[in-house]
This record gives sequence, C-alpha cells and structure tokens, in this order.
Amino acid sequence: MIQIQFYSLLRMLLKQERIELPAIEGETVAQLLARLQKQLSTPFLHKLLDDDGSMHAGTIILVNRHNIHHLEGLQTHLNDNDVVAMFPPGAGG
Amino acid sequence: MTADRYARQVLHWGKENQQKIADAVVMIAGLGGLGATVSQLLVRAGAGKLYLVDDGIVDWPDLNRQLLYGEGDIGREKLPLAKERLSAINSTTEISLIEGRIDKNFFMPNDLHAVADCLDNYSSRFLLDELTPEGVFLVHGGLEGDHGQVLTLQSGQSQPMSEIFAGACQPEGSIPVTPDNVVVVAGLMVNELFAILFGQPKLLNRCLVVSLADFHMAFLDV
Repeated sequence: MIQIQFYSLLRMLLKQERIELPAIEGETVAQLLARLQKQLSTPFLHKLLDDDGSMHAGTIILVNRHNIHHLEGLQTHLNDNDVVAMFPPGAGG
Repeated sequence: MTADRYARQVLHWGKENQQKIADAVVMIAGLGGLGATVSQLLVRAGAGKLYLVDDGIVDWPDLNRQLLYGEGDIGREKLPLAKERLSAINSTTEISLIEGRIDKNFFMPNDLHAVADCLDNYSSRFLLDELTPEGVFLVHGGLEGDHGQVLTLQSGQSQPMSEIFAGACQPEGSIPVTPDNVVVVAGLMVNELFAILFGQPKLLNRCLVVSLADFHMAFLDV
C-alpha cells in the first residue's frame, strides 16, 4: 500500500488526513495523483498542477520525507509502503 | 520582589530548567509578527541573552500583529524600539542588536544555543539555515491565513531547509496574516525553544502543521 497524507488546505478540501491506495509497480507520483483524483469525489489536482501538468509553486510533495524536487519530480517512482505527503507551507511571519 | 518574577513558571518547570533559560543565548531573526512575540515571551521567561536581527521600520500594516509596537512608533526603526520595550519588560536579559538582513555576508554569533526563524520569506530562511553553526538548533515558524507550521532543524544533522521546502511559494505582494494566528505560531515556537533549552526538542525533523480553521494539528516528519 501507499499512504498519502494531506495537510492544511488540502486536508480541509478533501476532508480527510490520509488515504491508502494499493501500490502499482512502476507508478510515478503524477500517475498516483491522477489515480487519487479518480478515486476521490473532490477534484484537487487544480490545486497542485498547472494545465500543462507541471507543479504549481506552493505545495510541496514529500516521498518518504524527501521533497520530490530533489528526486525526479512528478516522475518519481513509487514503491510499496511509500509515504507521500502534500503540504502547502505558510510563508509569512 | 525580583526573585518572585519567575515564581509561577518555576512551579511548572522547576529551578534547574529556569537556570537553563537564564543561561540561554538565542537569536531572533526578524522582528515582525513572529519575532515581536517570540522575543517578548523569551524575555518574560528570563532568557539570558538575545540577538535581535532586523532592518525594518514600523508601518501601519504591522500594528495588527507586531505586539511590541504602537501608533506612536510609525516610521521608527524596529530594532532599537524592540530593545527599549523588551528591556522595560525584563532588564536582566542582555540584548544585542544586529542591524541588517540575512544575506551571504551575515555574520552569525558564535555563542548561540538556538535560532528562531521569524522571517517572512523563504530565500532568507534558506540562507539563515545555511549559516546556522553546526549543532545549533533552528526553530522555523511560518504562517499564512489561518494555517501555519513550526519545525526544528539541527544544523549538520537535519536535511537543509532549502531541500525540505523546495518549491514552497513566496506569494507576490502581501501575505494574509492575522494577530491570532501569529500569536499561536509564536507561542508554539517558544514552547519548542524551551524544550530545546531543556534538552528535549519535540519537533526535531518533525513539522507541526496547525490550522485555526478547525483547531487541527498534525505532524509531518521531514
């Protein structure tokens, strides 16, 4: 299984903190997000991705604690038992 | 009378921990919403020495949340004002002022136990983290609207902040910030600073994500 955790505004939008989906061999983060959107009744990808499928600035996605910016971005491959966390950190002080 | 100043908190954390606060040296980077409250709480608790870093002047949009300043301070530099106000609260805390911004040329003090990231933009935060001496704890706070986060990193041990928050957005223009959220996040930062000084950080490599919209808190391990 892959555990997906939602924080802050995404948690409120989706009305849940986490969801588990069966792992699919070779699946990328982008493919997982598309699968997740199909499963959930609330559209959320527009909060994360531009029309061309690239990531908005704002929300960070961590796979096993590591920001996908430093992995292979949305093309990062996932494995069974991975934890994917999505979080839009506040910038102000 | 002055011996009674800390009587109520010593009942909670004891004399030994009070001494740890008295021995503490903490740098507050940024004297805006977070920094004004973090510095005030540390001084009230009896912190030994604070370094304050800022280069701003007080403006009207600051007054909703920057608790050290008032209407009569508009146009004045925050740094000397903060020292004046903090010293009036507790004259036993040594306060050292560092005027300027966090940039590549910033000279970090070498006697720090902890750094409080009370800045308002990620590029300065990343530099602050990079400049923090090895082994020193950095407590990050950030907020926007009715959500925020607190995270502790230890230089040399934790992932760099620039890696954790890569892709974090610095919105164009003013960021929405309310007085209640600022005080909540600042209070959590100070609670964590105390925990660090007492030798038991609670948020090391663990981001506490706070939402005032529904009073929700959650941990995000990083």
